[in-house]
Parts: sequence; C-alpha cells; structure tokens
Amino acid sequence: MAPKRTAREPTPSAATTQASSTASVPAIPTKASLKAKDNQSPQEVALGIWQNYLDTTPQRTKLIDVFMSFLVVVGVLQFVYCVVAGNYPFNAFLSGFSSTVGQFVLTASLRIQTNGENKADFGELSPERAFADFVFGSLILHLFCINFIN
Amino acid sequence: MRLLATVAAVLSLGSTALCAEKSNSTKPLTSRQILPANFKPPQTFKNVNLVHIINLEKSYPKESINVVIENTASTAQDEYFIPFTSSQMETIGGFEVKDRKDPDSGLFEVEAVEFDTESDTQFYRIRLPTPLAPKAQQTLGISFSYLSALEPLPKHVGQQESQYLVYTFSAYCPSTYVTLKQKTEVKFPSTNVPEYTIVPATAGESESPQKAGSKFTYGSFGELPAGAVEPVKVRYEFTKPVIHVSRLERDIEVSHWGGNIAFEDRFTLHNHAANLSKQFNRVEWASQQYYNPPSTAIKELKFPLRVGSTEPYFTDVIGNVSTSRFRSNKREANLEIKPRYPIFGGWNYPFRVGWNADLKKFLRKLKTGNGYVLNVPFLEGPKQPEGVSYEHIELRVILPEGAENVQYSTTVPLVSVEHSLHRTFMDTTGRTTLTLTAINIVDDFRDRELIVTYDYPLLAGFRKPLVIFTAVVGVFCAAWAIGGLDIGIHGKKK
Amino acid sequence: MADSGSITESFFKGSSGRNTRGLLRLTILSLIAAAAISSRLFSVIRFESIIHEFDPWFNFRATKYLVQHGFYDFWDWFDDRTWHPLGRVTGGTLYPGLMVTSGAIYHALRALTIPVDIRNICVLLAPGFSGLTAYATYLFTNEMSTSPSAGLLAAAFMGIAPGYISRSVAGSYDNEAIAIFLLVFTFFLWIKALKLGSAFWGALCALFYGYMVSAWGGYVFITNLIPLHVFVLVCMGRFSPRVYVSYCTWYALGTLASMQIPFVGFLPIRSSEHMSALGVFGLLQLVGFVEFVRAGVPSKQFATLLRGFVLVVFAIAFGGLVLLTVSGVIAPWTGRFYSLWDTGYAKIHIPIIASVSEHQPTAWPAFFFDLNMLIWLFPAGVYLCFQKLADEQVFVVVYAILASYFSGVMVRLMLTLTPIVCVSAALALSSLLDTYLTIKSPTEPTDSSADAVNGTTASSKKAEKAAKQDGLRSLSKPLVGIYTTFSKTSVVSALTAYLLIFVLHCTWVTSNAYSSPSVVLASRMPDGSQHIIDDYREAYQWLRQNTPENAKIMSWWDYGYQIGGMADRPTLVDNNTWNNTHIATVGKAMSSREEVSYPIMRQHEVDYVLVVFGGLLGYSGDDINKFLWMVRIAEGIWPDEVKERDFFTDRGEYRVDEGATETMKNSLMYKMSYYNYGALFPPGQAQDRVRGVRMPEKGPELNTVEEAFTSENWIIRIYKVKDLDNVGRDHASASSFAKGNKKKKTTKRRGPKVLRVE
Repeated sequence: MAPKRTAREPTPSAATTQASSTASVPAIPTKASLKAKDNQSPQEVALGIWQNYLDTTPQRTKLIDVFMSFLVVVGVLQFVYCVVAGNYPFNAFLSGFSSTVGQFVLTASLRIQTNGENKADFGELSPERAFADFVFGSLILHLFCINFIN
Repeated sequence: MRLLATVAAVLSLGSTALCAEKSNSTKPLTSRQILPANFKPPQTFKNVNLVHIINLEKSYPKESINVVIENTASTAQDEYFIPFTSSQMETIGGFEVKDRKDPDSGLFEVEAVEFDTESDTQFYRIRLPTPLAPKAQQTLGISFSYLSALEPLPKHVGQQESQYLVYTFSAYCPSTYVTLKQKTEVKFPSTNVPEYTIVPATAGESESPQKAGSKFTYGSFGELPAGAVEPVKVRYEFTKPVIHVSRLERDIEVSHWGGNIAFEDRFTLHNHAANLSKQFNRVEWASQQYYNPPSTAIKELKFPLRVGSTEPYFTDVIGNVSTSRFRSNKREANLEIKPRYPIFGGWNYPFRVGWNADLKKFLRKLKTGNGYVLNVPFLEGPKQPEGVSYEHIELRVILPEGAENVQYSTTVPLVSVEHSLHRTFMDTTGRTTLTLTAINIVDDFRDRELIVTYDYPLLAGFRKPLVIFTAVVGVFCAAWAIGGLDIGIHGKKK
Repeated sequence: MADSGSITESFFKGSSGRNTRGLLRLTILSLIAAAAISSRLFSVIRFESIIHEFDPWFNFRATKYLVQHGFYDFWDWFDDRTWHPLGRVTGGTLYPGLMVTSGAIYHALRALTIPVDIRNICVLLAPGFSGLTAYATYLFTNEMSTSPSAGLLAAAFMGIAPGYISRSVAGSYDNEAIAIFLLVFTFFLWIKALKLGSAFWGALCALFYGYMVSAWGGYVFITNLIPLHVFVLVCMGRFSPRVYVSYCTWYALGTLASMQIPFVGFLPIRSSEHMSALGVFGLLQLVGFVEFVRAGVPSKQFATLLRGFVLVVFAIAFGGLVLLTVSGVIAPWTGRFYSLWDTGYAKIHIPIIASVSEHQPTAWPAFFFDLNMLIWLFPAGVYLCFQKLADEQVFVVVYAILASYFSGVMVRLMLTLTPIVCVSAALALSSLLDTYLTIKSPTEPTDSSADAVNGTTASSKKAEKAAKQDGLRSLSKPLVGIYTTFSKTSVVSALTAYLLIFVLHCTWVTSNAYSSPSVVLASRMPDGSQHIIDDYREAYQWLRQNTPENAKIMSWWDYGYQIGGMADRPTLVDNNTWNNTHIATVGKAMSSREEVSYPIMRQHEVDYVLVVFGGLLGYSGDDINKFLWMVRIAEGIWPDEVKERDFFTDRGEYRVDEGATETMKNSLMYKMSYYNYGALFPPGQAQDRVRGVRMPEKGPELNTVEEAFTSENWIIRIYKVKDLDNVGRDHASASSFAKGNKKKKTTKRRGPKVLRVE
C-alpha cells in the first residue's frame, strides 16, 4: 500500500495542489496585469484562474474535466479506504486504484490531444482519432483490470 | 486370394466388437465364436500318425504338428478341433493349417472358439475345405508359436555368463482325439541341455528322449486316449537376447503426387532375457567387445529393406540416434541400427525407424478404370538370428485423399480391420486409412505380403491443389477488400 | 546483400515510383529475413533438430506440458518432479510468453492440418523470430533516420550479428529467442508513440511491453530505459504534451499488463527496479499539471515558482522512496541486480550467481567477436545522433550508454547491446554510403556552411568521419577531394570490403562458436568424417527406459533441466536456482565423505546419482572442474562442515592425482568420478585427460553407492544408492566383509585399504 503513495501522488494533486500551490504563492493576478502581483490576495488569484478557465475552456473539455475530477475523488476515496480499512484483497485494491489512475491519465491524454492549443504538437491528430485512441486505451485498461481483480 | 479376403473380412466382422475394446491391450485373442458351455468336440476323428516338432532355436518356441487324420464317423466331417490351455491361448500366434500333401492349396480356415471363459481348455477349430468322407484320411500340417513361453533360469545372470531357458510342454501332443502313434521332436539351439525330463520306458517303448546332436526325440508312443498329457521340462543354453516387441505401429503412407511411399515402424522393444545379477559394468563390457562373445544383450538390429529404399532414419524419444548404418546398392538395402546402449535382459528400448521408397515398385495401376493395386510387406522388422516376437502389430495403410473402395488381402492372421480417415497436411476430408491389427506374430511372418486394392479417381487427385488455390485466392481477395476499406479515423475537416 | 540493397535503393530513388521502391524494399527485407533464418540453421544441418543446452530443455518440457494439458493447467502447474521433495510452482515462477507463443503456433498449424512436431516448432522458433527482429530493427531505424538505406542496413546487421545469433540459433529455445524481437519492437512502438503523441501507439507499446514481460526477465531493461529517456527529455526542457500522452499511456497500461504475469505479480510496485518508472510517471503528472496551470497563468516568476515546487515534490517523493526501501516495504534490490553495479559482489555473497558463466563480466575480445566492425561504427552512429538531437535520437543515445555499461558487466547482456549497435552502425554506414554514392556536385553553399561548423568539430575524429563532412573542403576545392570518382570508389569499395568481411566473420562465428547443441558433441574421425559423441542422451535414455518412473536422480543443478526433459525423472535441483539451501545440500552431499553423504541422500530419497566425468575423453566441462563451486555453495550454508580450503593442497593447488588432499579423495564426487577408472588402463597408467595428470594406482572405493551405468565414453556415470544393509551393518563394514572373504583367496595387496576404509 505504501508504494501506492508515490504512485498516486500526482493524481490528486491535480485538484488539491491547484489550491495549495497557488495559495502559497504570493498574489498573482491572472489576466489583469502582469506586474502588479503584490496587490492581490490568494483568493483573488484562485478566482482569477477559475474565471480564466471558465472563459476559455470549451464545453466539451469541461465535461472531460468533470470526469477527471470525479476520477480523482474516487481515487482518493479508494486510497483512504485502503489506508483506513487495510488492503486485504490487494489485487482488488490495486486493480481498482490503477483503473482510476489509468483512466485519469487516458482522459488527460484525450484532453491534451483535443486541446486546440496543442495543435503544434499533434499536427495530424483529429479529435475523432484522439477519441478512438482513448476508447482503445480504456478498453485495454479495463480488460486488464478485470482480469487482475480476480 | 479373393476368397481369403472375404474370409478375413467375415472374420473381422465377427471380431470387431470384441477387439475394439482390447485392441491396444496385449491381451490375446480370445475367441471369436462362443459355443455352449457344455461343449465337447465330437469324437469324429482319430489321429493315425502324429509328429510334433518343437523348435527352440529361436527366442520363441515354434511348434508344428503333422498329423494324419481319419474320419471315424459315419458321415462326412469338416470340423477338426485342437485343444489348448487358456494360458497357451493367450500367447499363441501365427496359427496356420495346411494340407501337407498339397502345399499349394492355401491355408485352411481356422478360428478360435470359446465355450466357457472359466474353462482351462479352449479350442481352435479347423474347417477342412472339403468335408472328409468316412474312413478317408488327410494329412494336416499345423504350425503355430507361443510368445513369452520361455523363462530364463536362473533369472539373473552376470554380464558375461551363459543364459539358460526353460520350456515346458507335453511329450504327448495334446489332442481331443485318440492318437494311434506319435512322437515329439525338440530342436535345441545347441547341444548344451543340462536338464530335461526323462520319460521312463514303457512296454514296447524305449526310454525317452533319444538324443541326436541338438535334437531330442520323445517317443514314439503307442495309442493314447484323447487328452493324454505327459509334462516335460527342458532347460537349455540360449546365450542370446530374447527380443520381444510389445507393440509395433507401422505406417505406410502412399503419395501419388510425390510418387513416394513412406514407411515408419515404431517399436516398443524389450529384452526378455535374464536380468543382470549385478549392475551394468562398462569396463567389463568395453573389454569384452574385442572378443565379441555371445551375449544376452542386444547390440545391433539389422533391417534388410527392399532394394531402392532411401532416406532411412532411426530416432527415439529424445532425438536422432547417430549410430546407424545404411548400406544401399543395386542388390540390397540394409539398415543396421545400434541402440544407444546395449539392451540387457529386463531393459527396454522404444525407437522408431522409417524410410522412403519409390512408389512405382509397390503400386500398379489396373488397366481399366481408376483401380490401383498396392503390394507391400506386412512386416519389415529386424531380421535377427535369434528371432523377434511381436505381441501387437498395428499396421496403418494411409492411402491418398479420396481413395475409395478399399479392399485388402493378406495371409497374416488378423484380429481386426478398421477403415477410417486420417487428416494431415492440409487435407479437407482426410485420407483413407486402413488399419489392420494382428497379435502374437513372430518374425517368420516377415516376408508376408499385404495387397491393397483401391479406386482413386482422377478428380480426387486434383482436389488438394484446387482447395489450396481457392483458399489462397480467397485470402488475397479478403486482404484486398479489407485493404481497400478506409478504416482510418479522420476529422471531418479532412 | 545489405549494401547492394542500399545501392539499388538510391538507384531507384528518383526514377521509379513509390510502388517499385516499396516492392524492392519488401524483397530486400524478406531476403534479409531469409538470410537471418538460414544462418541459424547450422546446428540443424550439422547435427539434427534438437533442443540445445540446459534451459531450453525446461522450456521445451513446459511447452509440451502446455500443449498436452491446456493453458489453464499450465497456469496452475505444480511440478512435483523437480526440486524433490519440495516441488516447484512452475506455473507461477516462469515467464510463460515463450511457451504460449509456440503453443499458439502449434495449435494454429494443427488447425490448418499441418502436422508439425512440437519439437520442431520449438527448435525453429528462435530463427523464425530473428527474421521478425530484423524487420523490427528496420522499422526502428527508419524512425531514426530519413535515409531508407539505414533501416535496411540495420536489419541486415541485426539479422547476422553474432551477438544476437549466440542466443537464437535453431534449437536455442530460450526466452531470449522471442524477447529480443519484442524488445526492439517495443522500442519502435515507443518511438512511434512519442513522435506522434498518440495514445493508440502508446497502448500498443504497452501491449508489446506486456508480451515482453511475459517472455523475459530482461523486461526490466525497458522498464528503466523508457523512463530514463523521458526523464532526460524533461531535464533537457523538452517536455511536451506528446511526451505526457505517450508515456502515461504506456506506463498505466504497461504496468497493469505486466502485473498479469503471476511471476511478476506485485513487483512493479514493490521492487526497487521498477521505481524509476513510477517516479517518472509521478514527475510527468506534476510537470503536466504545472504546464497546464502555466498556460492559464502567464507569469514568468510564477512559472519559476511552480518549477521549484515540482522539484521539491520530486525530492520529497524520492526521499520517501528511499525511506520505504530502507524500512523494507519496497523490496530491496535483488542480488543479481547488485552484481550489475559491483561485479565482485556476486562472487563474495552469492556464489550461485557467480557460478554461471554467462553472469561473468564480459571480456573485451567478446565485443569484437560478437559485433566485429559494428563496434567501431557504433560510436560514429551515436555521434551522428548527437548532430540532430530530436527526441528519438536522445533515445538512441540513452540506450547506447546504458546498454554499453550493462554489456560490460554481464556477458549475457551483450544481447541488449546488439540492437542499438546495429542501429547506430547502420546510421553511420548509411550516411557514409549515401554521401559517397549520391553526391553530385557542391552546389549547396548554405548547406555546406552549416556543415562546416560540424566539420571542424569532427576533424579530430577519424579520417573517414571527417571526410564525410563534405562542406569544408568542397568550399575551397570544389572538384577535388571527395568529389572525385577516385575518392568515391575507394571509400565505397573499402566499405564494401568491410561489409563482406563482416559477413564472413559472422558466418564463421556462427558456424564455429554458436552452433553446437552441447547435448551432442562432435569430433573428427581420423579420416575426417564426423563422429558424434552422444553420451548424454545415451545415459538419459537409459535412465528413462530402465529405471522406475519415480526414481529420484541427484546431480549437480546444471543437469537438472536435461534430466527432467530427456530422462523424464524427478530431480533434486535444477537450473531454476530458486532454493539456494537445497542446492547447497546437494553440494554438501557431493563434497563430503560417504558417511556424511549417505544419510543426506537417504533423507532426500535419492535413488540414483549422476555425475559428469570428462577424464577419458578430455571433456573439460565436467563435474570435477565445477566441483569448487559445489564446495563454495555448500560452504555458504555449512561453513563448519565443508571448507574450501580443505580441497586445496598446502601449496594452494587444486589436484586430483596422487597429491590430492584427503578431503578431496574422500569426497563423494571424487570417488564417483574416478571409481573403477583405473581398470580401463594398464596398471598404473590411468590418466585424466582433462587435467592431464596420472591418477593414483589405487582407485577409490565406494561403499554406499554402486555403479549402475556408465556411458560409452564415460562422460556420464550413474550410481545407484544402496539400500540399508540387510543385517544392519554400515556399508563400509559390509563391503569390507564381502571383500575380505575374497581377499583371503586372492592377493593380499589391497589389504591395507580395507583397514583404511574401516
């Protein structure tokens, strides 16, 4: 169970560190001005980021993000359960947890690939193709998980 | 020949049911025909003169009985019975009856009959081709052999010691009929016979046996009633291996396209000679090799093959055995194989040998129709001076795919015949296969022929090329069709 | 063939259409595959279709089990015929990829009604896969280079490089047979995934990685190489969404796939070897997240802070990892792994690993022997990769460095080096050939000025390499130097000669060094004909046919797999050296006095003891020469009872003749090897032809075991362990009693010996 900690560290950080890291940083304005950071409180920074996110993100991507945060929540829950109640069927825990993590990174990949800003990196990749890749990857992932769960 | 084929077919029909379940066990030929439990052969014959010859020169006893029989009944008779004990019945083989006066007339029809499984006495019934008229006489030549009837004594000998075998038989030839005059001759491999039973002299008869070199003669004896027995035990030197093949699977595969006939024999070989009293000693064995003394170990097996045989191989379960020699020229084709280790008594050595030959030498096309005649040796085991006995032989003749109307004939006594299909090498329906089973055969039957006739339509020969061609074309078409499909996932923009 | 390929390639480049070139390429590739396969068939032609060496016999036996009993039985296979009396959970302790592959091929052929013996499939699997490896190398190299000739050259090199042939000749039915193909193909898929940033290719890469895991323990190499590549990329500031997508897909799926193999199980999250992949996975998440946030927050300072944050988290995670390793939650490095860093480690701590010859450090001639001219083209190719350092070239560089190190540490890992050597050598060679075969005139001043910079840096390198940097000289003297026909032809013909020599070398090495089955030995008769010494199989067949089905055979572990495969008898120890104590027990039984060995053998229900003795034939791989390892391994467990020092004379010599130590002379192994050996020679003339010494006149006496079988050339000797004596005497007194009776009648010469035994 302990090794899991390192494994899943990054995943929840997507949600949790978002708040913590920005909070630790001295105030940063998001859009308004680049220089005058000192004037703004952490809340405002977070809010600014949030606003920025709401403004610029397409609806579909938001849907993906909701799914991703759901996965994060599930992953955290599983991990907490594992810590609290013990990891007895280790296979089951592992496959459940890795299916969450795996699904998360696959979804993240889908999100990255469909993001218009990354066009330069994925020149020929159409969103449809990205989605097909996503489905393919997920199928394999869950096949393995089901096989592994015993 | 045709008659024989039908006879065998009839026999096999009756026996298929019985043999099906025991075909791969080494149990004997029990009987094919069940008679009522209270059966007693009718006293319709008497043996006028009987000579019983027991040949112990090989590693199995081979017996022949030459008997002049006379019909004592008032009507013509055609059934003559010979009794055996049930243990003899299990190991008897190669039972054949001929008319001594007319050797070319072919073999008589014989069958083992059973009337009571518990009874110690069982019978062979000989059916005379023509019923014998009352008072008429006929001379029968009966021959057969027993497997595993020889026991080494002592059971364990040293690596270089001589071996002695024990054989038990009756000085009076077992018969269900009254015998007027008889004698039993025993032929030994050498004059060294340290122990033998002496039959004391009776009125008019001198003491038996009389010795003449390596031949002992018991008798002659006067009139004896039916079922008279005088057990005799002989112990004689036989420092040779007792080669026993518990199972021989022989495949003969005919290929019209390749013009080739492939033989493969799979032997499960044992040496039934006396076991080693101590463990095997290599030093002793190596030093002994220079003198090449007689030994109970099998050092080499010789297979005289048909001239023109090629590409022989000799393998066992863990691969090729390099110690084989093949000498082939215009006159002979001898395969000499050496097992990996000398096979002493009690040791086993399963192996397989195989070779190819030109089909033309074995196959002839009939002038009319699509008929073919295949003539192959039934058995091509090793030819050893000490003889080889086979407990169970399964011969498969694999004919080309589509061959039909398969008929066969052979003089080897069979216990079962089976027609089946054998699928191999991209066959669609499978090759026609004829499986013949024989038990308790000795290597005297080595040169017996097996003749198989079958029809092979021209079209059947083209079946496989056509099927393969169609399949390949189909694969190409499918590949082309799939390759033509656009399965890429593109954006709508493209 | 290879260079002719590139010639035709360039010849057809301009004029013919795409189809013609494709067809040519296909033809060349299939010719390469054919060459690769046929050069591996030496042993089949020279000997027969037989499984080689030791480990393949186990794989073969497992494959037969799989074919006979089906997949599920195989998965749950508990083998009670090895490691008697412990048994072995074989299904859970092997890499099943190889057996499943050949099982699948077998059933596919059966479905097509092609009756192929499973043995032939096993024998020919490695050559078949070497053809595929050549193709995979072609694909991999094509990702590296724009020149199509590089791929073909690399394929050809891979096809015939002895470094790879050493493990993939026909009959060498080992895990490496398919693993190298999977290794190269997984790398190809990885590069493809990385280039395209495609989850699909990443998933494929993960699938093949899973296959690789199921086939060979060397998968750890991939597990560490890909993360290292990614880590280097991140450190170089080359993080991109493509890296994230491909790596995360590969890791998430690949790790799950690897955990499906029972033998691997939880290792990917428990053992240290796998932690780097996990760490890089975490790092990528962090970096990815930071990049994401940074995209939304356009502030440089903030970004710097974030980066600092990433480093802190990474440091904490690494610290946690170390902590966990120390506290024992994560399995520490295995011994075999330690020996990768410290070559002396195994020798001191784990003699059983050190006793395997393929775990020794590589001797330097081996590089030249296995790779020939590729080894000096290799740095040139790596250097070329530095020139255009795209993501995939970084991979080549990382791979080259890592593999070079490991191959120097362990002979066996030469295998992982070979693919990258072939690839980079092909890159170097193709760039040479392309340059000299196709340049027409110096009409590209812009290009050459760019090259001039490179040219100066390279000028200190080899002449040829410098010559390749055409720009510098072409500026000053456009029509002399390398543009002359003379220089072109001379360079090209020199290269052609090199290539031909390479082919000759490969063929020679393959035919002489790597094509012996080692089960069967070949010697020459005086008349030049080949004589086959088949003692191993003679003895194994004897065991198989003439001993009881469940007779337990004790032998040194090298022969365990062969006894299991060929003799089909239960063994005490075999080449799967999972239980060191059990092996040490056998070592102790072999190296102790009979009085000590006999109870050990009785306890383990040993029926027969098998030793290998080369003294008569001069066969040096025999048990007496391996004896010191037995002693060492036994000493590791029973330091008080077995002492290596006792087997050396006072002057520190290891002797078997008259001067051997008493411990040596009384050891069971010594006695069994030389028992009755003197009887083969005139008195006093007995000679051991391996160690080249004359044996003592008086041979050893055996009381508790008796000679049961000795093969024709004495290579294998089998002894039967005696039962307890009928009247309850110990064996020594029983046999001296028996001997005493005889001695009275015969000579008195051996009298003192009886006393000594008592």
